[in-house]
Amino acid sequence: MKASLTKKICIYLGALVLATVIAVPVLWLFIMSISSSTHLTTLPLQWWPDAPTFENYRNLLVFAENSPSASFLYGIRNSIIIAFAATGLSIIAAIPAAYSFSRLPGPRRKNLLYAVIAIFMLPPVAIVLPLYTVMSALGLLNTHFALIIVYCSILLPFTTWLLKSNFDTIPGDLDEAPIIDGANRLQAIWYVILPIARPALGAAVMMAVLLAWDEFFYGLLFTNDIRAKTITVAIADLAAGRVADYGLISAAGILAAVPPVILAFFMQKTLVSGLASGSVKG
Amino acid sequence: MSSVSLFNVTKSFGTADIIKGVDLSIRDGELVVFVGPSGCGKSTLLRMISGLEEITAGEIHLGDKRVDHLPASDRDIAMVFQSYALYPHMTVAENIGFPLKMAGWSKSDMDAKTREIGDVLQLLHLFDRTPKQLSGGQRQRVAIGRALARDPKIILLDEPLSNLDAALRVDMRMELARLHRELGATMIYVTHDQVEAMTMADRIVVLRDGIVEQVGTPLDLYLQPANRFVAGFIGSPKMNFWDARSDENGRVVMPSGLAVAMGDHVAANRSLTVGARPEHLVLCDEDNAALKGTVLAVEHLGSDTFVQLHCGIGDPSQMDVNVRLAGIVRVSIGDQLALTIADQDNWHLFDGDGIRLDPPADRVA
Repeated sequence: MKASLTKKICIYLGALVLATVIAVPVLWLFIMSISSSTHLTTLPLQWWPDAPTFENYRNLLVFAENSPSASFLYGIRNSIIIAFAATGLSIIAAIPAAYSFSRLPGPRRKNLLYAVIAIFMLPPVAIVLPLYTVMSALGLLNTHFALIIVYCSILLPFTTWLLKSNFDTIPGDLDEAPIIDGANRLQAIWYVILPIARPALGAAVMMAVLLAWDEFFYGLLFTNDIRAKTITVAIADLAAGRVADYGLISAAGILAAVPPVILAFFMQKTLVSGLASGSVKG
Repeated sequence: MSSVSLFNVTKSFGTADIIKGVDLSIRDGELVVFVGPSGCGKSTLLRMISGLEEITAGEIHLGDKRVDHLPASDRDIAMVFQSYALYPHMTVAENIGFPLKMAGWSKSDMDAKTREIGDVLQLLHLFDRTPKQLSGGQRQRVAIGRALARDPKIILLDEPLSNLDAALRVDMRMELARLHRELGATMIYVTHDQVEAMTMADRIVVLRDGIVEQVGTPLDLYLQPANRFVAGFIGSPKMNFWDARSDENGRVVMPSGLAVAMGDHVAANRSLTVGARPEHLVLCDEDNAALKGTVLAVEHLGSDTFVQLHCGIGDPSQMDVNVRLAGIVRVSIGDQLALTIADQDNWHLFDGDGIRLDPPADRVA
C-alpha cells in the first residue's frame, strides 16, 4: 500500500508530538538534575545551565549516614526487594490462576474472576485503614513483608487478567496434546503453555514491577524509616524538608528510573511482542 | 497394540445426552473408522476413549484393563488432532520426542527413537525446523510421528486429513493405510467423509445422534445397510429411495405400478421404503420398468454416465432419481427412460421404521 504524502506527514507529525510529550519532561528533569540550586532559582530561566554539575548525583550515590544518600540508597534497595518479591509471588500465583480461569469449566469460576476485578477496582483509601490496623496488630508495619503482601494484592488481579486473556488465545488442543503425550497438567503448563505465552509473561512481569515500583500511597503509610521506605517515599522525603532542593529531587527521579529501564532493556524483545500480540487479539 | 471394548458407554452434558449407550468391540490391530454426520458424537466418543472427556456411565477397556477411571496420560494411547496441535516453540525433533521426554527417556535413547520415526515418515531433513516452517502435509506427518513415538497401544485420529487439500488427502490416506499395515497398531479414525471411511477401514462404525447405527466392513455397509440412514449415508452418489407398499400377496408395488415378488420376508399390506443405489439401476423395456421418467441432466465421464431422471409419480421429494450407467450411454436431456433395479439383491427394503427387511439367509451376499 502506498501512503500519500499528506498521510505520511500526518503520521510523522503525530509520532513527533507523542515523542515530545513523553521525552520533554524527562529532558527537563535531567536539565534540572545537572543544574545548581542557585541556577534553578535565577530569573530569567535559562534552558541550559552555564556550569553543568553532577554534584546532585554524587550527593545521592555516595553513601553517608543521615544524609539524603542514605535515604535514597536504602530506598532503592527496599524498592528492588519489594517490587521483585511482590512481582515474583504474584506471577507464581497468577499462572495457575489464569490457567484455571482460562481453561477449566464452571460458572462459579467465572464469577470469581469478576470478583477479582471488582476488588482490583476498589480505591486503596477504602481499605487502607483496616489494613493498617491488621498490619499493626501483626507487628508488620515498617517491614518489607507488609508491602510485599499489599502489593501482591494489587499485582495479582492485574497479572491474572493479563495472562488469562493471553491463555485464551492459545488453542485448547495444545493443552490436550501434552496430556495425551503423557504429561500431567503442571507439565503441560510448564512445557507447552508457558513457552507459548512467554511474551505475555514478559509483559506481565514488566508491568507488575512498574506498578510496584511506582506505588506511593501504601509505601508512605506503612513505612517510617530507611529500613523499609521505598524509593517513591524517599524522593517525597527529599521534598518535605524546609527547603526543597529541586536539583537533588530531579537527580533522584532520574536515578529511580534506572532499574526499570534496565529491566525493560533486557526484556525489550519479549515486551514489545507481548504488548503487540495483546493489542491485536484483545 | 491392544483391543478396545466399550460397554454401554454414555455421555451427558447436563440434560443433553450426547452418547446414548454405546457397546463396541474393536479387535487388536484393527483400523476402525467412526463415521457420521456432524454432531453425531463421533469425536466425543473418540475423546472419551482417549480420556480427554470423562464418561457419564459405562466401562471402557483397553486390552483386559479397565481404563475409564484413568487420566488420559496413563492410558497409553496416542492421538492425532484435527489441528495437529504441534508445539509451535519446539522443533520437529522436539515435537516427536516430547512424549518420550515425558516418559523419562534418556537423551540418547530419545534421539535414536525420534530418528527412527523421522526415517519412517521421511522427516529427517526437517528435524531442525519449527512447525511454522512446514507445509500442511509435513505438519500432518509430524503429528503422526509424535503419536508413534511411544509405540502406543492405540492410535486415535480425529479427522486428521480434513485440513489438507484434496490431492494431499489421497496421498496421506494411502500413507496412513501403509503405516497401519506396517505397525499393526490398533487405530480408531474419526471422519465425516464416507469415502475416507470406505477406503481405509477394516470396519466402519456409523453413528447418528449418539447411537451406533451399524458396525461392519465397508462392503457389509454397502451391500446390507442395517437401516435407511446407513443406506443413505454410505455410497456416493446417494442411494435413491421410494415410498412403496406391499400388496396382499406380499409383492412390492413401486410408484410406477410395477409389482415385484421379493420373498416371504415381506408381509402383506405394509408400507415400505425401497432403496436402490444409482449404479444398480439399469435400462429396461417399458413393461418391466420400476420407474420411468424424463432425463433432466446428463454427465458423461467416459467410464460412467450420470443421469438425473425426473419421474412424474410418487412423493415429490422422491421424484428426482440419480442413475449411474456403466460406460458411455447415449442419452440426452428430455429423453424418456425406463429403468429397473438390476438384481433382486440390490433391492433394499426398509420397513415403516426404516429398519432393513432381511432377505432369507440363503440370499445374503
